[in-house]
Amino acid sequence: MASSNLMVGLEIGTSKICVVVGEGKPDGTIKILGVGQAPSRGVRKGEIVDFETAMKCVHEAVVDAEEKSDIMIRSVYIGITGAHIQSFNNRGCVTLPEERDEIDEQDVDDVKINAREVSIPAQNAFLHSIIQSYHIDGHDGVLSPVGMLGQRLEADFHIIHGVRNRIQNTIRCVKELPLDVEDVVFTAFASAQVVLTQHQKNLGALVIDIGGGTTDYILYVDGAVRQSGVLAVGGDHITNDISMGLRIPMTRAEKLKIEEGSTVLGNCLPGETVLLKDDSGFAGKEVERETLNTIIHMRLRETFELLKRRLEDEPYLDYLGEGIFITGGCSQLNGIDNLAEEVFGVPARSSHARTMSGLTSAFENPQFSAAIGLIKYAQAMQGDRQPRGGIRGLMGKFFQRMR
Amino acid sequence: MIQLSRNYSLPEKKEDDLAIKIIGVGGAGANALDRIVLDGMEHAEMIAINTDVQSLASSVATSKVQIGREVTRGLGAGGDPELGYHAAREAAGELREALAGARMVFVCAGLGGGTGSGAAPLIAEMAHENGALVVAFATLPFAFEGKRRTAQAMEALHELQRVSDAVVCFENDRMGDIVLPKAGIHQAFAVADTTISQSVRAIVNVVRRPGLIRIGFDELIAALRSQNSRCLFGFGESDSDNRAHEALALALKNPLMNRGKMLTDAQAVLVQISGGPGMTLTEVEIVMQELNRHVEDHTQILFGTSVDGKMGNRMSVTLISSLSAEGSAQPAPMRRASKTAPKPEPPVVEPEPAFEAEPESIPIATEYATPLPEPVTTTSEEAEPEPVAEPAMEEDAAPVAELPPPARRVRKPAPKIEPEQTPELAPAKKDKCVQARQEVMQFEPVTRGRFEKSEPTIVEGQDLDVPTFLRKNVRVK
Repeated sequence: MASSNLMVGLEIGTSKICVVVGEGKPDGTIKILGVGQAPSRGVRKGEIVDFETAMKCVHEAVVDAEEKSDIMIRSVYIGITGAHIQSFNNRGCVTLPEERDEIDEQDVDDVKINAREVSIPAQNAFLHSIIQSYHIDGHDGVLSPVGMLGQRLEADFHIIHGVRNRIQNTIRCVKELPLDVEDVVFTAFASAQVVLTQHQKNLGALVIDIGGGTTDYILYVDGAVRQSGVLAVGGDHITNDISMGLRIPMTRAEKLKIEEGSTVLGNCLPGETVLLKDDSGFAGKEVERETLNTIIHMRLRETFELLKRRLEDEPYLDYLGEGIFITGGCSQLNGIDNLAEEVFGVPARSSHARTMSGLTSAFENPQFSAAIGLIKYAQAMQGDRQPRGGIRGLMGKFFQRMR
Repeated sequence: MIQLSRNYSLPEKKEDDLAIKIIGVGGAGANALDRIVLDGMEHAEMIAINTDVQSLASSVATSKVQIGREVTRGLGAGGDPELGYHAAREAAGELREALAGARMVFVCAGLGGGTGSGAAPLIAEMAHENGALVVAFATLPFAFEGKRRTAQAMEALHELQRVSDAVVCFENDRMGDIVLPKAGIHQAFAVADTTISQSVRAIVNVVRRPGLIRIGFDELIAALRSQNSRCLFGFGESDSDNRAHEALALALKNPLMNRGKMLTDAQAVLVQISGGPGMTLTEVEIVMQELNRHVEDHTQILFGTSVDGKMGNRMSVTLISSLSAEGSAQPAPMRRASKTAPKPEPPVVEPEPAFEAEPESIPIATEYATPLPEPVTTTSEEAEPEPVAEPAMEEDAAPVAELPPPARRVRKPAPKIEPEQTPELAPAKKDKCVQARQEVMQFEPVTRGRFEKSEPTIVEGQDLDVPTFLRKNVRVK
C-alpha cells in the first residue's frame, strides 16, 4: 500500500466475504474508500471447510475492492470467528525488585505475559489479551501504570483464544493469494470498535453480531471487555429452518427471509399469506406469514436465550447502561431489536458502524460492521505503534532517563 | 422426549434382591478387585480368594478366603495350575459358603499363573452349580511372560469358557498398546486393572440400572456369545457440552476396541447409554448414529438406555461385543459339556442357538424402522426374558424333574425377579417378543439440512443445527 494509513479489513463470512478499504485520518476518523464483496462458498459456521473454493471467493472480493477503491491491496487485517473461540478473565501479577519502585513499560509487558500464563488447551492459541484494569499495591482502577510508584503491579486481562489450526486455516487462505496478514482479530471485538463509542463502552454495552454462520458477542462494562464468545448459530440456521419447515429450496428460503421475514408474532392478519413466485414469475406456493415468522422467531429467541444463559455466568448483564447493540447481516430482520429487548430485559437496538466518512452506503450497512471495525482496530494499533518509534517515543525515553 | 417418571424407581428396589458377588482369584484377580473396590462399587460383595496370605492380607476386599492351607501353606501357587486347582479343592467348603446366595458372580482372574489358572475355573463352576450366572473376566499374560504361561492361560481360558456363561477376555498385550513405551510396567498392569474395573462396573450397571430400555442378561450373553474370542469392550463418560459425541469417542478409544475398527467384524454389539435426568433423545440419537457408522449393516445392535440421577451431568456409553478370533474355533454348544454333565444341566446349551438364530434373522435396520408407540411400554416388555433367575430356576427344577425340555429354559420367565412380567409372556408369543424387544424406540427422522455434513453445534445438550421448531415440537403449517 502506498501510504501507511491505508488499511484493509477482510472478513471471511459464512454468507459473504467483504473487503473494506479505509484511510485513517490524523484526527482519528476513518474514511471508507471502497468496499468489495463476493458471495462466500466453502465456509460453514464462520470456518473454512473448502479451502480452494473459499480462496477463490476471497480473491474475487479482493479484486472487487481493488477496482472500487482504485488501490492495490497488499496486506489485510482479517476477522476470525467460529465456535472454537473462547474467552476468560485472568489476572497477572509482577512484583518489582526491592531497589526499584517505579513501574516501567517492561513491567507492564511482564504482567501481560504473566496473565497469559494460564493453561489453555494445547492446540489453542491466544488471539487477544485485552487489558481491563491495573492495580498497584492493591489499589485498583489504574488506567496507565507506567511511571507510577509501587511494588506490586497486577492487571486484569480478558483473554480470547481459539484453536490454532483453525485460525491458521484462515490465515493461510489469505496468504496463498498472496496477501500479507497484518493481524488477526476476533470479529465481535472488531465490530464493537465501530458500533460503540468510548462513552458507550464506559457505560456498559453488549454487542451481538449475528452473521451468516455465527453469532459473536462481546460485553463491555466500565470501558473494558468483560465477556466475549461465539455461538455457532446464525442467519444460515434461520434460512435452513425456513427451508425445512416450509419445504422450499434454500435460495428461496433466503430470499423469503430477507424480503418478508419478521420476528414479530401475532402481528399479521389471520390467514395472511405470502406468495412465493416461481423462477418464471408464475405464482408458486403460498406460505402463511405467521408460520414463516414463527420459524424465525423461535430460532432467534432460542439463540438469544442461549446467549443470555451464557452471559449470566457472570454478573455483568446487570450493568449494561447503554443496552444491547445488534449488528451483522441478521440485525436487519424486522423486529429483532424488540425480541432481544424482550429476552434480555435491556434496551436493544439494531446498529451499524458510526464515526465514519466516505461511502455512506457502506458504513450504514450492518453487514460491514466487522470489516470496518477491522480498520478501526488497525488504526488503533498503528496509533499505538507509531509514537513508540517516532518522536514522542524518543522524547519519552529521554524524559525517562532524565528522571 | 424421554422422561423418567417416579414409578421407575420401583424396578431398582426389586433388583436389590439380585445378589452380586465379585470374586478376585489369585494375584492379578486381587489387583483387579482392589481397583474395583477403590473405584467404588455398590450393591456387590467383593471376595478375594488367594493362596498367598500376604497378598490376601493387603487386599482391600470386604471378605477374603484363603485356599490351600495345606497344599501351599500360605504361600503362592508358584505358577502351577495343578497346585492352584488342588488348593481350591481343599477349601471347597469355604468357597461354597462364600458363594452361597449369589445370583450373579463375576470371577476376575489373571490367567497363566498358578492360583488364577487353577482355581478360577473351579470357583466359576462352583458358583454355577450354586445357581448363579457366571461371568468370568480373564486377563491373558503378556507375550513376554513366556510360552508356557500362555499355554497355561489358554488351557485355563477354555476351562473357564466351559463353565461360565460368558467370558470377557483381556489380552494384556493389546492393553499395553495404549501405555507409553516409556511407562513403567506397573502402569501397564494398572491399565489392565482399570479396564477390568470399568467393564465389571459397566456390566453390573447394564444389568442393574433401572433402564428405560433395559438390557437383560440374555442380551449381554448374546453380545459375548462367540466363544474363544476377543472381547471388545469400550466405556466412555463425559460431561461436556458435546458429551454424547465425546463419550462415544472415548468408548471407541478403549484399548480393547481399537478405535472401533474391529467393530465392523462383530456380529452383535451391546450398547448401553446412561445419563442423568438431563440426557436428551437427541444425544442418544447422536451416539447411535455415530455408532452405526462403525458397524456393518447386518450387525445386531442390542440397545439399552437408562436414566440415573446419580450420573448428574455425565453421560456414559458402554459398548460390549466379541469377535471370534480363529473362525470360531469353539462352537457354542460345546460349552458346558463334560464337567457339568453329572449335574442335570444339559439345557444350558439350548439358549445359545436360540439367541443366535434370532438376531441374524432380523437385521437391526428394520427393527428401528418399525414404530413403537412409547418407550414406556418397552420397559415392561423388554425385561421379559430375564435369564438372571433362570439358573436358579433350573437348579430348583433339576433335581425333581430331570432334564427339562430344552425349550423350556428359554421360555421360562424369571418369576422371582420380575413377577409382574409373567402375564405378558404367553409362551407361544415368545419368539415374537424376542424380536420385538429391540424395536422399542423409534427415532424421529431428525434432519439437519444444510448442516448435515458439518460439525454439529451442540449447546446444552441440544443440536442447534436441527430447526428450533422441530426440537420444541411446534407444529408449523
